[in-house]
Amino acid sequence: MKKNIIILSAAILMAGSCGKKLEILPTQSIEEEVVLSTDQGVKNLLNGAYDMVSSSSVYGGDLFLYSELMASDGELRWEGTFNQPREIWRKDILTTNAYVRDSWLDAYEAINAANNILGALDVVNEDDRDRVKGEALFIRGSMFFELVKFFAQPYAAGNAGSAPGIPLVLEPTRTDNVSTGRPRNTVQEVYTQVIADLTESQSLLTPVGYNDEYANAAAAAAQLSRVYLQMENYQGARDQANTAINLAEDMGFGLAGNYATLFNNSSNSPEDIFAIQVSANDGANDMHLFWSIPEFGGRDGDVAILAKHLNLYDEDDNRFNLFYEDDAETIRSGKWKLQYRNLPNIRLSELYLTRAEANFRLGTSVGATPVADITPIRARAGLTTPGTLTLDLILKERKLELAHEGHGLHDLKRLKRSADGFAFNDPKMVLPIPQREVDAAKGILVQNEGY
Amino acid sequence: MAARKKMAGWLWSLVLLFTALTVQAQDRQITGKVTDQKDGSPLIGATITVKGTSINALTDENGQFSLRVPANATTLVISSVGYGNREVAITDNVVVQLSTSDASLSEVVVVGYGTKIKKDLTGSIARIKGDEVANTPVVNFNQALQGRASGVFVESQSGKVGEGIKVRIRGAGSISASNEPLYVVDGVPINATGIAGNALADLNFNDVESFEILKDASAAAIYGSRAANGVVLITTKRGKSGKSTVNVNVQYGNNKPTGHRGFLNARQYIDLLREAAINSDNIEGIDPLDPSQYSGSWLQFAEGRLTRYSGHSNWRELETNTDWEKQAYQNDAKTRLVDVNFSGGTDKTRFFLSGGLSDQDGILIGNNFQRISSRLNLEHDATERLKVGVNFGLSRTIAKRVADDNQFYTPMQMVALSPVTPVRDLDGNLYDRPVTTYYNPLIELEDSRLIATTYRNLGSAFLAYKLMNGLIFRSEFGLDVQTQNEDRYNGSRTIVGEGTNGYGQVDWYRMLNYNTNNYFNYRKLIKDKHDLDATVGMSYQKYKADFSQVYGEDFPSSQLSRLASAGRITGGTSSFDASSILSYFARVNYKLNDKYLVSLSGRIDGSSRFGKENRYGFFPAVSAGWILSEESFLSNSDVLSFLKLRASWGLTGNADGFGNFSHLSLYGGSKYNNTAALVSQQLANDLLQWEKSEQTDIGFDFGFFNNRISGEIDYYVRNTRDLIYFVPVQGTTGFTSQTVNVGSMQNRGFEFVLNSTNIARKNFTWNTSLNMSFNKNKVTKLDGDQTIIPGNDGRYMNSLIVGEAIGVFYGPKFAGADPQNGDALYYLEDGKSTTNDINDAHSFVVGNPNPDIIAGLNNSVSFKGFELSVLLQGVFGNQVMNGAGGFMSASFDWFDNQTSDQLKRWQKPGDITNVPQLRLGYGNGIGASSRYVEDASYVRVKNVTLAYNIPAKVTGKLKMRSARFYITGVNLFTFSNYSGWDPEVNTDYRAGNRNQGSDFYAAPQIKSLTFGLNVGF
Repeated sequence: MKKNIIILSAAILMAGSCGKKLEILPTQSIEEEVVLSTDQGVKNLLNGAYDMVSSSSVYGGDLFLYSELMASDGELRWEGTFNQPREIWRKDILTTNAYVRDSWLDAYEAINAANNILGALDVVNEDDRDRVKGEALFIRGSMFFELVKFFAQPYAAGNAGSAPGIPLVLEPTRTDNVSTGRPRNTVQEVYTQVIADLTESQSLLTPVGYNDEYANAAAAAAQLSRVYLQMENYQGARDQANTAINLAEDMGFGLAGNYATLFNNSSNSPEDIFAIQVSANDGANDMHLFWSIPEFGGRDGDVAILAKHLNLYDEDDNRFNLFYEDDAETIRSGKWKLQYRNLPNIRLSELYLTRAEANFRLGTSVGATPVADITPIRARAGLTTPGTLTLDLILKERKLELAHEGHGLHDLKRLKRSADGFAFNDPKMVLPIPQREVDAAKGILVQNEGY
Repeated sequence: MAARKKMAGWLWSLVLLFTALTVQAQDRQITGKVTDQKDGSPLIGATITVKGTSINALTDENGQFSLRVPANATTLVISSVGYGNREVAITDNVVVQLSTSDASLSEVVVVGYGTKIKKDLTGSIARIKGDEVANTPVVNFNQALQGRASGVFVESQSGKVGEGIKVRIRGAGSISASNEPLYVVDGVPINATGIAGNALADLNFNDVESFEILKDASAAAIYGSRAANGVVLITTKRGKSGKSTVNVNVQYGNNKPTGHRGFLNARQYIDLLREAAINSDNIEGIDPLDPSQYSGSWLQFAEGRLTRYSGHSNWRELETNTDWEKQAYQNDAKTRLVDVNFSGGTDKTRFFLSGGLSDQDGILIGNNFQRISSRLNLEHDATERLKVGVNFGLSRTIAKRVADDNQFYTPMQMVALSPVTPVRDLDGNLYDRPVTTYYNPLIELEDSRLIATTYRNLGSAFLAYKLMNGLIFRSEFGLDVQTQNEDRYNGSRTIVGEGTNGYGQVDWYRMLNYNTNNYFNYRKLIKDKHDLDATVGMSYQKYKADFSQVYGEDFPSSQLSRLASAGRITGGTSSFDASSILSYFARVNYKLNDKYLVSLSGRIDGSSRFGKENRYGFFPAVSAGWILSEESFLSNSDVLSFLKLRASWGLTGNADGFGNFSHLSLYGGSKYNNTAALVSQQLANDLLQWEKSEQTDIGFDFGFFNNRISGEIDYYVRNTRDLIYFVPVQGTTGFTSQTVNVGSMQNRGFEFVLNSTNIARKNFTWNTSLNMSFNKNKVTKLDGDQTIIPGNDGRYMNSLIVGEAIGVFYGPKFAGADPQNGDALYYLEDGKSTTNDINDAHSFVVGNPNPDIIAGLNNSVSFKGFELSVLLQGVFGNQVMNGAGGFMSASFDWFDNQTSDQLKRWQKPGDITNVPQLRLGYGNGIGASSRYVEDASYVRVKNVTLAYNIPAKVTGKLKMRSARFYITGVNLFTFSNYSGWDPEVNTDYRAGNRNQGSDFYAAPQIKSLTFGLNVGF
């Protein structure tokens, strides 16, 4: 009897003594130390950073959408049922708007990934280190730039030194610094950081050749030209656009013959200096989702193009032909018609337009004369170019050439225009800091004026 | 000499002792069985004493005992709590029946790793017999338990059949971890989740003998880290030795929705929409009725839409008036149930065998749930010492599911469509956009499929070995296997599949959960007054789940809708998940003089979910009881027949429901540009550990007038600390939250149970039972300096606020329409002045989704062969927020059809109303606010059953043992002020601990009426 008890007890204890049974590691995830300790890990993380940038809330479409909705000025209408994008269109945004919140969160997720890469460069193979660093800086600088454009007063408002920008986070987040408060830096500080990141990015990427899907030197310079344009620094904008054009041409980019071929592509067009890659297996395209119609896999055709916009096109302008009419006779943008297609982010023609505008304003002809830059673009659209240009003509050309590609709000602000009765520096033309962010920051983050 | 004498004395003693032993060895061994006179059920724990000695034994769980008795002994005294003592002559096999006036006190209650007599309980356990809920025509046993136990709140998310149900035992204890109880079937903790539907619907509850709900810490702490939310022990039926019996039950009935919300008809829709458009034009200084200003006006836009929405008909002539709400329901929803069981056995082997078929249509179009199930429970006494058995249940469920409430293609979203839109065009095809305002969900019925099929095996095998008198070793091995697949196809006409010429997806999930319990139980009655019952053992459980998924698009036709025919396979994934728990437990129950009860228990749990340092937790409990009615000063009372005072304290844990690896910093796979990538998933927290729940319970059990009136009263306080919480962090970190132990929560409340036998005559009985529970939930601490985590996301407002209940609605307080201009107004901080800008509005607590009171009242009357039972169920003091208010009750902000209450809109200065002026596109009052919060208290006629038992004379002639006809009505009537479909609601797409009380196109509950026939042979 006692023997039985002893045996049974022993059996029980044996069954239980395997503390190792409690050692279980996940199979779909790996620990941070592992990722950041190998060349392969850091490079995968870099691709992951692009994945975050390509989120529907950021370059996967929503940032373009906000820009166009806010600058609509009666040229387009949000007709969709979702009332949160409608708030943006009406410039009457709740601080709890989930779209705005997600854009903020996803952009910072990409920034943290970039910071992690920048902090782990010494494990990257020396040959690739500059490229990896340059791409990470491109991502970080671009995200800061997008955030400051949407969540802060425009640089052109003239108070960049004192106006609150967005928090600059330059270190990777770890358990020990996650609770450190991150207040807003000034708009000026943010622009300074953006310029530093993109300038260094461009210098590091310079030696690297043409890169189809990822950020290249031309993309860094092009992004920088946008930054200077926002700052009304036309010299900077001109020089960076010029650098970008030279790099791009060296890499084999060039204007496409047919405007319509620039959109709805599964692979980059010869004009796509930087484009977000989307396929049926991967990626999101919210511009398609909201601008297209059910027939092409879109939602209900949430964004309608109104006559005020259509009337801007000359009769001969073949860019007009890209618009199409749905069954309910509403006009839709053909740029975002098909599902699972890339989102062009920086197109070569933008750089010609920037160089032309800046040269025109400065009375210079760095790289080319404004007429020489504008002519091929207009010619492609089926239009002739007058021998003498005006600033208005250049700006209108820019508006039509880049229509509905996310430039609306940013051009409006730097040009100090207004939309739907809201001036360029109206507080309602700035997105609110997401309420969850204000709450999580426990008082350290100031809400934007007007919210 | 003295030494020698001493030596002799010792020797003599030895001899005496030896003799004594020898004599004892010559005693004879007898066996026997003690049963209840009333129904022949075995009495467990009855004491058998040899009269005039202290030699005794206790009966085991089959009522059997064996005892060595001195050769000269003649009489045994048999006693059991709640029964009268009996003396019987000793024979080799003693069979005794005991009788009692009150059986309930002697009921055997299943507790974790053992059983106990109800009278001896020191913890709070609610017991519901399987018979009480058998044949309730619902698919999930939790629905059948609703309203039947105090302190147990059951809420179905909606009337979708076989879907989510919330169960809260004594309130919610956690913010981020699970708040659902642990379910244990025949000793095996089961998995309660899956990839689709509700995993608990796999169990045919007609096979259940009893449900024991362990509510307080002393009852539950033996389940340690899994017990903080209470434990539901489910024991399936066993066979009884004797004649084999067969029971056949068939039921048939129909299902209807419990409520209608009511939307505008075509005339009203046209009038109000035009009014809204004109109002918007007027704000912009345009008079659209002036033909010169019509072009480009909101009115032109709206009338254009009316024309578009009218399809082939003409809205100006009111040619169409579609009631879309009606279209969302099945006209002919049925319930069909068949249940057959056999049971019986010999003295050594007993069996219970069953088969069941359940086929229930939901009320929504396309919604159906089917289950076939079988069970074999077998027990065999291999020797006098060894007993073995298996409990084996197998089921298959097929759920034809409908989409989540927030999807355009879920049937209920049809209500948003315009009543001017005809359902079909002149060719008989369903209209879709752009004629319908949104996607027409009726297309789903013709061109899509969403079917979840689950195979579930709940099995356990056990052996019990009697090592010596009173000492039993029991070993159990349980297996819970769930294989589920969900097959989705959305044809080229559907919203999901139209852009890609069809979409197909298959998900597979296989869950294996195995568990072993090994424990010793020792019972000993010492000197006729010290009753000791001790249990010690260990348990190990491992959970593994594999998941895989593949999807594709472009199908040649709707007939070829499997992925084999997909033109493109666009993606796939697979994953694996695992966790384990290793536990040691012990419990000692001690009873003195049948009056004083003490119980101590402790469990050590080790979990794979935490880092090395915090892996193990200790969960102790202590409780005591005092049966006052056994004291001399009360034992002679004519009025008071039973009175017990109980008190308990204990600590339980919670480590479920927040992920298996939350203590690590993790990166996971992703992709960009069709190339592998890594993305950060979560921040580490090495310090993560269990949530700890400390509960104190004080209660009385009482009986009056020979226990004709009996009941229980409990008061409890449950404090949960170290709450696992995804603390929001600044998004600038790249993360949104970190999993940490912060905060604490409290639940306290009263529970009352009152049972009364009002009439007990031979042919006429009437019993009433009432349960009523008051619970107050309060968040007592969030992370250190934070007192509010607001949850206003523009649609809902479930927030966490220190001092308030979990998930209260916190946000703008609606002040009605401005009598001057019809603007929606909200209160400012002073609570008096108002603003028309919702961003300036002050946030107030404007509602609480947690009920203050839940109650159930059951009356059952039997008269001759007739039986009538009526269960009323009530929930009081909670609010529900309609997250779809901003669409359906939105002063015509957009083209969604509006609820009828929008007719009471502001129209002219001076109007006092809660419906702001109609304004198309202006968002007048559509932000989340108290405008969309309503009281959702209700009383329901939950279950009414009227039955007729055919007299034995007749059934005897028909060679039947029994025959019973019955009609059962579920949710027949609901009384509530809630203006939505049904006050019992929590929309599925966001339901969670904090996200409670939200309505969003959720289907009303099912009202069913079924006819049944039950025949026994």
